Amino acid sequence: MTIAEWAKDVVLRLARVPAEPQVPEGAEESVRVFNAGRNYFAWRLIVWGLGNAAIALGLLVVFGLSFIPKLPSLVRTIWWVVEAGAAGLFVASIPITYFLQRLNYEMRWYIVTDRSLRIRSGVVWLQEMTMTFANIQEIRVNANPIERLLGLANVEVRSAGGGGSAEHGTSSSGHVAKFAGVDNAEAIRDLLVGRLRVYRDSGLGERTVEAQEPLALSAAREVLQETRALRNSFAGGLRSTQRG
Amino acid sequence: MSVAPIPPHIVAVERPRESLMTYYVLQAIAANVAFPFVFPYLYFRYHTMRYRFDTDGIHMKWGIIFRREVLLNYSRIQDIHLRSNLIERWLGLARIEIQTASGSASANMMLEGMDDPEGMRDFLYSRMRGTQEEKAGNAADPLAAVLHEVAGELREIRALVEGTRA
Repeated sequence: MTIAEWAKDVVLRLARVPAEPQVPEGAEESVRVFNAGRNYFAWRLIVWGLGNAAIALGLLVVFGLSFIPKLPSLVRTIWWVVEAGAAGLFVASIPITYFLQRLNYEMRWYIVTDRSLRIRSGVVWLQEMTMTFANIQEIRVNANPIERLLGLANVEVRSAGGGGSAEHGTSSSGHVAKFAGVDNAEAIRDLLVGRLRVYRDSGLGERTVEAQEPLALSAAREVLQETRALRNSFAGGLRSTQRG
Repeated sequence: MSVAPIPPHIVAVERPRESLMTYYVLQAIAANVAFPFVFPYLYFRYHTMRYRFDTDGIHMKWGIIFRREVLLNYSRIQDIHLRSNLIERWLGLARIEIQTASGSASANMMLEGMDDPEGMRDFLYSRMRGTQEEKAGNAADPLAAVLHEVAGELREIRALVEGTRA
C-alpha cells in the first residue's frame, strides 16, 4: 500500500465517506457505471492552480501595499505578521487541497440503469442525486476549449423545473445531473438517448399513447389475418361446391 | 400504478432524530454574531418538525410563529438528492432534498434527521414516476387482450369451416 493509498483510506474513514454508491433499482444487466476521464484530474488541477495563483497574487499585492510611505512602523510590523500568518496558512493548505482534488477526481460515479441514473460526487461535501428517465427533459453535451484539448466533455441531464443558477453553468441547480469531465461523452449520450426512447412519455407534457399502441396494433393485425384466411377458406369452399 | 402499502418503518417516521438538534446547535454557533437570531429559529424548527408519510405523499410541517406545511406527492418527485457535509456525517445525519417540477432551483422539501437516510431515499425512489410504470403499463392492455380473443374465435370458425368441407 502506497502512502497516497494509506492517506486516502484514512481521510475516507475520518470523513465517514461511504466507499461506493448503491446502484439504484433496475434490471441488473443494464447497469453501467462511468467515471471521470483520465484527464479530468488535469482539468481540476488547472482550475485549482488558477485559484491558488489568484490567492498568491492577492497576498503579494497586500504585501506590496505595506510599503506605503509614512506608515507608522508599528502598523507595518502588525501588517507583516498578519501577512506572514496568511501566507503560512496558504502554503500549508496547498498539499491538502491538492490531495482533495485528487480524491474528488477518484470519488466520482455516474451510474446508469434502465430506469434511472445516479450521480455521486464529493468527499467533504458529499452529493448524490437520483433521477428517473421518465422525468428527463433534455440532454446537453458541452465542453470548453481547454476541456476539448484534454478530450473531455460534460453531459448534462435535466429534469423539469426552473433554476436561477442554470445560467451560470454550475450544477448547483437541483434539476441538473452532470456527468462532469467524461472522455466518452458521445457513448454516454447515445446510451441515454437509447434508454429514453423506451419512455415515450418522459418528462412533462401531453402523454402519448403511442408507447402502448404496438401491442393492440399487432393484435388487430392478427384479427385481420385470421379474417382474411377465413374468407379465403369460405371462398375455396364455395368454389368446390360450385364445381361439384 | 398500483398502490403498495407503505413499509411500517417509514410510517413510523414522525420526528427527526435527536442528533439533528446537536447539528443545529453547531450551526447556530457557526453563525456567531447571528447566534441570538439563528438559534431560536433552529430550536423551534427542530421541536415543531413533524413528518407524515401516507400512501400518496409526504406531509411536513414546522414553525411556531410562521407555521409552515408542505405536502408533496411521491409521483411528482423529479429528483432526489442525498447530501451531507463532514459534520453531518459524523453525527450520522444526511439531508434528503426532494424536487418537483416547480420553478425553483432550491429543494422543495428537505427531509432532515432521518434515522436511515439511504433507506428513506430508496423508499422514495421506489415511489417515483418511472420506476414501476413499465411493469404496470405493458402487463395489461385490455384492447390487445380482447383483439387476441377475437382472433382466436375467428381461428376456431375457420377450423370448423375447413373441417366440414373435408
